[in-house]
Amino acid sequence: MTTTSSIAHHQPADPVREHHEDELHDDHGPEKGWRRWVFATNHKDIGTMYLLFSLLMFFIGGTMAMVIRAELFKPGLQLVDPMFFNSMTSMHALIMIFGAVMPAFVGLANWMIPLQVGAPDMALPRMNNFSFWILPFAFTLLLGTLFVPGGAPAGGWTMYPPLVLQTGNAFPMLIFAVHLMGASSIMGAINVIVTIMNMRAPGMSLLKMPMFVWSWLITAYLLIAVMPVLAGAVTMLLTDHYFKTTFFEAAGGGDPVMFQHIFWFFGHPEVYIMILPSFGIVSEIIPTFSRKKLFGYDSMVYAIASIAFLSFIVWAHHMFTVGMPLAGQLFFMLATMLIAVPTGVKVFNWTATMFKGSLSFEPPMLFALSFLFLFTIGGFSGLMLAIVPADFQYHDTYFVVAHFHYVLVPGAVFGIMAGVYYWLPKWTGHMYDMKLAKWHFWLSTIFVNVLFFPQHFLGLAGMPRRIPDYNTQFADWNMVSSIGAFGFGLSQLLFAYLIFSSIRGRANASDKVWDDATPHGLEWTLSSPPPYHSFETAPELK
Amino acid sequence: MAAATSGHDDRKRNVRRTALWLGLVAVAFYLGFIAMGVLRSVH
Repeated sequence: MTTTSSIAHHQPADPVREHHEDELHDDHGPEKGWRRWVFATNHKDIGTMYLLFSLLMFFIGGTMAMVIRAELFKPGLQLVDPMFFNSMTSMHALIMIFGAVMPAFVGLANWMIPLQVGAPDMALPRMNNFSFWILPFAFTLLLGTLFVPGGAPAGGWTMYPPLVLQTGNAFPMLIFAVHLMGASSIMGAINVIVTIMNMRAPGMSLLKMPMFVWSWLITAYLLIAVMPVLAGAVTMLLTDHYFKTTFFEAAGGGDPVMFQHIFWFFGHPEVYIMILPSFGIVSEIIPTFSRKKLFGYDSMVYAIASIAFLSFIVWAHHMFTVGMPLAGQLFFMLATMLIAVPTGVKVFNWTATMFKGSLSFEPPMLFALSFLFLFTIGGFSGLMLAIVPADFQYHDTYFVVAHFHYVLVPGAVFGIMAGVYYWLPKWTGHMYDMKLAKWHFWLSTIFVNVLFFPQHFLGLAGMPRRIPDYNTQFADWNMVSSIGAFGFGLSQLLFAYLIFSSIRGRANASDKVWDDATPHGLEWTLSSPPPYHSFETAPELK
Repeated sequence: MAAATSGHDDRKRNVRRTALWLGLVAVAFYLGFIAMGVLRSVH
C-alpha cells in the first residue's frame, strides 16, 4: 500500500476545507482541561477514553474474579456469603464482556479505523461522544447494584427467567444498565460502518482495506443485528416483572425457554463480536513481524464473513440440555462444527504467513503467537462441546468455563493486549520498556494456562459451574487454578504500569515505530504521535 | 470549488443516509423480536 504524498502535516489549499473551516476546527489543537474530554469529538481522545475505561473495568472485573478464585481456593472455605459469590460470578461476566472487552475494541476502532482508512475522524463525532459517555452511567448503575437491598444480580449474566425475576431492587438497575450498554454499542457500530463505507481514502477499495478494518466492519454489522435483540429480551423481562405480561412465564401462557432462544440468538454472535476484532489485530501483527505479506488476504476476509454468518445459526448449541427435536440437535451440532472450517482457514493462513518468514518476537508478536496457540485450544474444546451427547455430560461444568475462558482471555484479551503493544508507541509517541513487556507476556501466558487448563480436568470430573463450595475430590486442581488466577491478576499490574509509563514518556518512537519490521498501512505514514487532526487532506492510494 | 463542495455535501448526505438505514435496522430487530414474543404468547 503506497500513498502519493506525505500526509501528516501537509495542508494544501483545499476548497472543501476553506468552505467548511468551522467544522474542521483545524486551526487549533485540543481544548484545555476537562472540556477536552467531556465534549470530546476527536476520535483519538474518544478512543483513549474508551481504552482507559476498559482498563478500569478490566481491573474491577478482575478483582471480582479474584474473589471467586479465593473462595474456591479450598473446599470448606466461606470467605464470602454464597449469595455474594453468585453475584460475583454474574457481575464479573457482565463487567468483563460489556465493560472491558467490548469498550476496548471500540477504543481500538476509534483510534485506528480513521487512521487506517485515511479519514480525518469518525463520520459521526458527536454520536461518538455520546456513545462513550453513556458507559460510565451504565456501569455506575450496574456497580451500584452491589449496594442495594437484595444485592447485585446473582442469577448469571444470562439473566434466565424465572431465576432473574428473584433479583431484589437491583433488577431494574440491571435492565436499564443493559439497555444503556446496548445503545452505546449500537451507536458505536453505526459510526464504524458509516465511517468505513463513506470515509475511505480515494483508491482504497473494500478489498484493499486493512484486516483490522475488515474485521471491525463485519463485527459492527453483527452488533447492529444482535444488540437490539438483547434489548428486546430484557425489555420483555422488565414488562414481565412490572407490567403483568407473561412473555416468559408458563403460568400465563408464556415460555421461559423462549428467553433462552432469544438470549442466545444475541449471545452467540456476541462471542464473535468479542473475537473477530482480535482476528483483525493478529492479521496486522503477524505479517509485520514475519516480514511478509499476509497469506491469503481474500480468504481471510471471506473466512471472517463466513464465521459471522454462521454465528447466527448456531445459538441453540448453548441449550441442548433444555430439550429440542432430534433434527434441531443435529442441525445446531453440524452448523457449529462448520465454524471450524473458516476458523481453520484463518489459523492456516496465519501459520502460512509465518512460514519461511524472517520472524522476530517483539511483545505484540509474542501475544499474537500466544493467541494463535491458546485460542486454538479454546476452539477445539468448543468442537467437543458441539457434540450433542458429549455436551449432555459437559453442560454446566467447569469444562465449559475452561472453554470460554480460553476463547475470551488468551483469545480476545490477548488480542487486545497485542494491539495495544503494537500501536501504543504510535499513539503516545513513546516506546515502552520492551523487557518489561516481555515479562508481562511470559507471566500472563504461563499463569493463564495454570489458571484455566486445570478447569478442563475439573469439568470432566463433574465439577459444576457457579457453586461457592465443592466436593473434596476437586480440591487439588482448584488450588492450582486459584494460584494461576492470583498470578495472572498480579501480572496485569505490569500492563497498567507499561501503558502509563509510555503515556508519561520514555524513549521517542519513530513514525514507523517498528523500523526493523515491515508494518503496512496508512497509520505508519503519520507522525508518532499522530497530529490532533490527521488526514484532513485525504491520502490517495495507488 | 463548486465540484469539491458538492462532493463534500454528497458525502454528508451519504453519511446521514447510511446512519439512518442502520438505525432503522436496529429498531426493526428490537421491535421485531418483541413482536415475535407477543405473537408467540397470543397463540
